[in-house]
Amino acid sequence: MKKTWRQSPEWRAAMAALKFFLITFLAGMMFLPFIWMICTAFKSSGEVEGVHFWPKLAQPENFKIVLRMIPDPFTKLFLNLHLWRWIFNSVFIASWVVTLQVITSSLAAYAFSRIDWRGRDKVFLLYLATMMIPAMVLTIPQFQLMVSLGLVNTYKGLIITGAFSAFGTFMLRQFMLGIPMSYNEAAEIDGANHLQIYLDVILPLTKPGLITLAIFTFLGSYRNLMWPLIMVKSAHLRTVPIGLLAFQGEYGTQTELLLAATVICITPLIVMFIILQKKLVRGINLGGGVKE
Amino acid sequence: MKLWEGQRGRVNFIAAILFLLPNLLGFLCFTAGPVALSLYMSFTNWSLKKSIPLEGIWFRNYIDLFTDSQFWFYLYNTFYFMIGIPFGIAGSLFLANLLVDSMYLKQNRKRVTLGFAILGVGLFTCALLFASGSKDMALILAALYVAGACGVFWGSVTFRTMFYIPSFASGVATIILWTQIFNPYHGMANGIMKGFFDMLGISADYLPMWLVSTKNLLGFLPLPESFNNGGFGLGAREAIMIMGFWMGIGGNNMILYIASISNIPESLYEAADIDGAGSFSKFIHITIPSVAPTTFFIAVMATIGGLQGGFQFAKIMTAGGPAGITTTLAYYIYTAGFEELNFGYASAVSWVMFTLVFTLTLLNWKYGNRRMEA
Repeated sequence: MKKTWRQSPEWRAAMAALKFFLITFLAGMMFLPFIWMICTAFKSSGEVEGVHFWPKLAQPENFKIVLRMIPDPFTKLFLNLHLWRWIFNSVFIASWVVTLQVITSSLAAYAFSRIDWRGRDKVFLLYLATMMIPAMVLTIPQFQLMVSLGLVNTYKGLIITGAFSAFGTFMLRQFMLGIPMSYNEAAEIDGANHLQIYLDVILPLTKPGLITLAIFTFLGSYRNLMWPLIMVKSAHLRTVPIGLLAFQGEYGTQTELLLAATVICITPLIVMFIILQKKLVRGINLGGGVKE
Repeated sequence: MKLWEGQRGRVNFIAAILFLLPNLLGFLCFTAGPVALSLYMSFTNWSLKKSIPLEGIWFRNYIDLFTDSQFWFYLYNTFYFMIGIPFGIAGSLFLANLLVDSMYLKQNRKRVTLGFAILGVGLFTCALLFASGSKDMALILAALYVAGACGVFWGSVTFRTMFYIPSFASGVATIILWTQIFNPYHGMANGIMKGFFDMLGISADYLPMWLVSTKNLLGFLPLPESFNNGGFGLGAREAIMIMGFWMGIGGNNMILYIASISNIPESLYEAADIDGAGSFSKFIHITIPSVAPTTFFIAVMATIGGLQGGFQFAKIMTAGGPAGITTTLAYYIYTAGFEELNFGYASAVSWVMFTLVFTLTLLNWKYGNRRMEA
């Protein structure tokens, strides 16, 4: 075995240390925008123009103004911003979408993985193929449909298009294929029908998959910009993204208030991620590992 | 053709239909139906305005589209943004390679002591800096120290989390944040660049104007007048690409690469060690070829995403401007459809996009699978 200077313990320790500092530095760079955001959110409106980070005189009032606890000191009016309402709308819509999608997807996934029927795999391929249709192709006719059904500017219209998903069906099918078929056979011998097997055997075993799908769907719905943007006309239906966008249009020049609102909207997401990260990482590998 | 065989087959078939029913209804109403309607719309002058009577105009939308220089410009914009994809993929692979080891120090007690030592020394330095007046440096250093100490305590998982957060939190809020960062007068981007410019003695007049500038890195190309080529430099497109890089580099692609790298058999690296290979040549000759299938998958997905992308950025940051240089196909469809209410024309554009995506997917199936088998 050739021993080179590169394999000496000192060199390796030095490289490991260097790597560690490099990663730390890069991670710090990634966080710089967030640090700047928090600092700027605490600045006074006169100080925003300065390029430094640390505010000379911290203004926690910015957050109070954004949360409508005190009026804007310049106009003496409360801001036209209803964060709690937006968050309620977003969470309400996302919860419905998650519930409906988990139900429809898991039912379909059961049919595609646990029941033997002719043409099953061909129909499944057709389902899969619909995943590549660009969202923009579907949005226009879907909106026309909503106009015809009179569902524009309603919760129903915002929820219903998210209730069905080829991706969810696909993901849960992969999950259910991993459960041995002998579970089905054993249950059938005991006289259970498909509905009973689905409810009592397969669903409990698919729980990790259901949770992952629920998280992804919730996030997707919470973040969605396009559909609420064209569907929401009145202020009381605004979701977080739509509300923030409107707020940017109205108060875009008041950087410190805009960023204070942004801080309030981003923080729960970051906390949520730190709590859920293990489940998410598994889900990403499940969804992306398909092709390998 | 018989749909089922025997009693059991019939029961199974009926059960399958019942299980599929809810999803199938949604699929017909919100996917299959709309696709057909969209294709039909693209051959008409369908509009949301009640005053315009519906007429079938056959290929007029498509002819208008392909003879319109604006459409070609927007297509060029869409491809321009895709220049960032290789850099993003390379960045993700680089990060994954750095983060794939657990990086735990050997002994637990040593690790904790070291963590506290780093944190203690670091925070002391920061306090000194803070007291001496350079508060910004103190702040940034403190962030670095906290990141480093967390890394020592919890290993590389901490760093994976840190790199993933921008992608996880991405959305309207982060895009608004970046709109402010790229503000030429009080944004962070020019704040940092001004620091470097002052050091090098360059006038602040040369600072890029980011989102309000039509300059771009391909600005030297002799493109037609209608392509609004604003000269060489950093402008709106580069600003959006930098933001995209920040959002994407530590995201799902990095996670996929980490999984892929950890599946490479250890014996390959051991054999290379015996031959005296350094870590760089191991990366080039073992890691990159081994993760090639993942790279292919990521590249195809990113290209498909890139063709459909750019709507959020254009809507929130630039409204497609300045001079249309950040309008991608997706944003063009949005403006044609939902601002001018010209559903027929917008559908025609969306079908052009669909064709592009479809071609790519076919290529992926054809060459992607062959590659996996080889």
